[in-house]
Amino acid sequence: MIGERARAIDRGLIEKAMIEGNAASTSIPAEPLWYKDAIVYQLHVRTFFDSNADGIGDFQGLTQKLGYLQDLGVTTLWLLPFYPSPLRDDGYDIADYTDIHPSYGTLGDFKAFLNEAHRRGLRIVTEIVLNHTSDQHAWFQEARQSRDNPRRDWYVWRDTDDGYRQVRIIFTDTEQSNWAWDPVSKQYYWHRFFSHQPDLNFDKPEVVEAIWEVMKFWLEIGVDGFRLDAVPYLVEREGTSSENLPETHAVLKLFRRRMDEHFPGRIFLAEANQWPLDVRPYFGDADECHMAFHFPLMPRMFMAIRLEDRKPIVEILNQTPEIPDACQWAIFLRNHDELTLEMVTDEERDYMYDAYAKDATMRLNVGIRRRLAPLLEGDTRKIRLMNGMLMSLPGTPIIYYGDEIGMGDNVHLGDRNGVRTPMQWTGGWTAGFSLADPERLYAPVVSNVLYNPQIINVDSQSRSPHSVLSWMKRLIRTRKTSRVFSRGTIEFVHPANHGVLAYVRRLDQEIILVVNNLSSRAQAVELDLRAFRGSIPVEMAGGNIFPRIGELPYLLTLGPYDFYWFRLRRL
Amino acid sequence: MAGSKDKPMADDSLLSDEFLRQLMAVEEADLLVGIPTLNNSKTIAHVVQAVELGFAKFFPRERTVVVAADGGSHDDTEEVVRNANLGDPHRMRAPQSLRTMHRIATRYPGPVNSRNVLRTILAAADLVRAKACAVISPDLLSITPDWIESLLRPIYMEKYDLVTPLYLRRKFDGLLISNLVYPMVRAAYGLRLREPMAAEFAFSGKLASHLLEQGIAADQQSPHSVGIWVTSRAICGGFGVGQCFLGPKVQAPGNSSSDIVATISGVVGDLFRSLEREEEFWIRETGSRPLPAFGLPYDVNLEPLRVNRKQMIQMFRTGVVELKDILKTILREGTFAGLEGAADPRAESIPFPDELWVKTIYDFAGAFHRSVIHRDHILQALVPLYRGRVAAFTQELAGADETQVDAAIENLCLAYEQLKPYWIESWKIHQ
Amino acid sequence: MIELVMQRLTQTLKSLVSAAATYLPRVLAMLIIVIIGWAIAFAVKAALRRILKIFKFDAFSEHGGVSQTLRKTGLAGPSELLCRVAFWVVGISITVLGIDVLGIPAFQDIISRFFRFVPQIFVALLILFVGILVANFLATAALLAAVNADLPSPRFLSGAVRLLIVIITIIMALEQLDLARITILIAFTIGFGAVMLGLAIAFGLGGQDAARRFLEKYIVEREKEKEKEDISPL
Repeated sequence: MIGERARAIDRGLIEKAMIEGNAASTSIPAEPLWYKDAIVYQLHVRTFFDSNADGIGDFQGLTQKLGYLQDLGVTTLWLLPFYPSPLRDDGYDIADYTDIHPSYGTLGDFKAFLNEAHRRGLRIVTEIVLNHTSDQHAWFQEARQSRDNPRRDWYVWRDTDDGYRQVRIIFTDTEQSNWAWDPVSKQYYWHRFFSHQPDLNFDKPEVVEAIWEVMKFWLEIGVDGFRLDAVPYLVEREGTSSENLPETHAVLKLFRRRMDEHFPGRIFLAEANQWPLDVRPYFGDADECHMAFHFPLMPRMFMAIRLEDRKPIVEILNQTPEIPDACQWAIFLRNHDELTLEMVTDEERDYMYDAYAKDATMRLNVGIRRRLAPLLEGDTRKIRLMNGMLMSLPGTPIIYYGDEIGMGDNVHLGDRNGVRTPMQWTGGWTAGFSLADPERLYAPVVSNVLYNPQIINVDSQSRSPHSVLSWMKRLIRTRKTSRVFSRGTIEFVHPANHGVLAYVRRLDQEIILVVNNLSSRAQAVELDLRAFRGSIPVEMAGGNIFPRIGELPYLLTLGPYDFYWFRLRRL
Repeated sequence: MAGSKDKPMADDSLLSDEFLRQLMAVEEADLLVGIPTLNNSKTIAHVVQAVELGFAKFFPRERTVVVAADGGSHDDTEEVVRNANLGDPHRMRAPQSLRTMHRIATRYPGPVNSRNVLRTILAAADLVRAKACAVISPDLLSITPDWIESLLRPIYMEKYDLVTPLYLRRKFDGLLISNLVYPMVRAAYGLRLREPMAAEFAFSGKLASHLLEQGIAADQQSPHSVGIWVTSRAICGGFGVGQCFLGPKVQAPGNSSSDIVATISGVVGDLFRSLEREEEFWIRETGSRPLPAFGLPYDVNLEPLRVNRKQMIQMFRTGVVELKDILKTILREGTFAGLEGAADPRAESIPFPDELWVKTIYDFAGAFHRSVIHRDHILQALVPLYRGRVAAFTQELAGADETQVDAAIENLCLAYEQLKPYWIESWKIHQ
Repeated sequence: MIELVMQRLTQTLKSLVSAAATYLPRVLAMLIIVIIGWAIAFAVKAALRRILKIFKFDAFSEHGGVSQTLRKTGLAGPSELLCRVAFWVVGISITVLGIDVLGIPAFQDIISRFFRFVPQIFVALLILFVGILVANFLATAALLAAVNADLPSPRFLSGAVRLLIVIITIIMALEQLDLARITILIAFTIGFGAVMLGLAIAFGLGGQDAARRFLEKYIVEREKEKEKEDISPL
């Protein structure tokens, strides 16, 4: 009788979900600010799941694993580039903007994936690389044919390689110049990244129109937004650093206006690896990008937990400017690139290298090419604390695939491939990623003694309620109980104990107090909470109540790397 | 810091720190029973014992807590609650719970009224994340451990959100309920919920949090009608509602108020106000559905209540004559003419058929909704008519047995349902 | 002689003409003022009607029982009445203002007194309005209480309450107008005293026994009835 009724309810819910899902098979119920409440999961199709035993992940495989992602609780997937490409920069060298790389499937597979994701309430954000194409792209092939080709000035050409002298070189480890010689048409072309990635010329209206056509193509299929790769570099001007130019903003505003007009509810997520004050213009007056990454916060979180001192985090957040209400920071612990140390001081960079990359092979460009778990020495207490902060600081959190189970890396795979190894589903030879022979995989599975699939995999962690994965699910569920985290303000509490990072998130009447112990030792801390006297703190993970806040400093004790979220209630 | 400024520390609506500490000790509970008390030292020990025996007998593994929310008794009620003992020798073979059973007696914050009691019990339920909760009267003489099972099991095991009781009543007991509140709520929401304003009911933790969040309507005047508020909020919130048989309800004498005018205008006023608030939920309902009922109904012979019909008839007749002007502004013409006929002093008895009564009530509801005259006056003008109806009803069924009385009430309910369009017409008229 | 007559005549004519010359512009001014005044009055009336409609004044006075009272007196509805009062007050006031322009001293005194009087009229009307509201409310309350408490002659009680309050209100209104207050006060005192005295004598002397019997019977019976009346509504 009991079970019967519960099952009936379940069945009813499932049917209801299916009906609603079908009714909205191409889009999820409109909530204009959905990206503010989103929890984003970042993944590469190639790395996730292989459905056809060719050793490379594909869209059909990803579609099969959507249930896992829905169960994890994330609401949005951010897919790394999946376009046809010579794959000399992990797909960021796009050879055709409007198709799928044959290894990953067909456009039909993509559409089926998108519909299934939407049916499950998951939104999809894809990559668009605006700044450059691959040198294999038809546009470049045409442009390089002759100096008077109509597509010639879709790219930036010079007779000499001494233009734009003030512009820095980003991939310092591989490139000596931003100019590269084209032996076919006997001229230099401009590139901000690898030499096989010629920059598009956004001074040319035809280029702007062509890129808009690309966006329209994907928006019409139904993607919910774009991560705009390398946006600060679109336009170049002599005598400047050619980053963040007003002309670049004008191009972005134009795209935004058109998207709002024809595809309301879709978003831009800007990748601008800059100081917060320089990123601020990318939000415009809520008329440019909806979201932008907060790059400097991430290294400082690692720094703070290593220093056992809250100072770096408080400092950088205090320097972070206000952004329009409809905009949101995207925050993350790790991603597919190196842990970038461009947005730190020299002193800080040296400390980070000493603390997290003693071995020089771990360093790449200006950063550290490692995953979350190895960076934190596999200490699950620290992994939890870092994720706890990620989920409670202002912004939309982004989880990098595999970090929810504490996957390891392989720094010896070259470039950033060490953090792009196959997702570890089970303890088998191929980590359950593929039915192909292990040596056929696009990259070897992590074999490190601490992080190999026998030790770290989804299957075993799903079976234990105490695993990192199960814990992450609970954390995400708790975060989703309140919009305070995604939309509220933040005020820091400043207890004398510098090892404790405490802040108050607030949205209308709802108030949440977060207390993090950044230290490896148990701590007692006295918080000045007089502003909230009379409130009862209710610990959000367990639901237990704590003594009412009064006039006296509020005493809390926290074990090593413990953290609490309290909902302050007036009852 | 806005929150702190407009609500200073000396906020007397906050739960006491002592109460919070006790809730902290409970930590989390599966089952919670709340008992509103006020000078009940004579009866409360029995009630607490029955509740805890019920816990031990039917829910030995569950985490349980009894919360006695006291309005400031002068007779050591709180002390009696704390000391009520289960360990009497003759009960040595009584079942035992596996866990510590928690029992809390606290003075609830704010002025003494049923709203603050309910709010305290809801807050306690929410804070200890109780899965199933019940409210029980402190002066019940007829409560047995079985009541706890009957009330809580449908919530705890069957995932219902609200369970209201089915009492075994004496003949002609609760006439206001059977002639007005029950049929009107039934016609409104389309649910055959027999006791929409019972003092005993059970609810899920989910419903408790929902009700707490809604904030208990502040315009209630009758202590009895928090039940109406709970019931209508649960129905309108789409919560699952069931009923359970409890058997006879016998309360210690003395506490119930005997002022019919105050009781009727309080209860009916609260009912009308609650219907006004939930208008969008009931205006389109038609017909009615039965609710699932749990437990075993049984029968015992209870002595019927005696009714003094003579005086009621006389007061009804005086009322219709003297209040003619007022009644004419409240009632539609045909209805008033019917009443005048019923009040004809030459007749032996009063002919007060169901249809006339239902139309009268619907006209009153409409007049109340539209505030044609002061609302208190509308409610008071109903009292003589209610007396007339009671006289007619009891006279007609003087020799009837329980089944016949039930059949009569069922017919009345159908009349309410059939005449609902009349109600909506009365409700919607704009002068 | 004729010459003298002619002289007189021309003189008179001259003075008449000169008088006309001085007064004619004033008369014209007065006419213009009066015409504009009545136009304003008309506008005020229309505006007031609309405002009262927006604020549902009729429903309000219906609710308070003023409309019923007015209906009994055969007057228009309350808002229509108010509009008309406003119309006439504005119209007359401006007419009076126009007459003032003529500069006739005898008028001027009356006019200034008239203008001192206008606000008092309004206050008096307001007092009457509120008084009727209160009287009706309390009368209804008394009626219901009496019926529900099974007291004898509920309507008489209710009527007495209403009468008392209406009389007090009228006195207050008249006092506001400063009209013959002493006369009214004395008249009222005498009247009220006489009624009370009459009642006292009637009950105290003539109907002593009857009253005692009535009360005894009433109280004892009620007590008895009370015992039997134990319907519990809940």
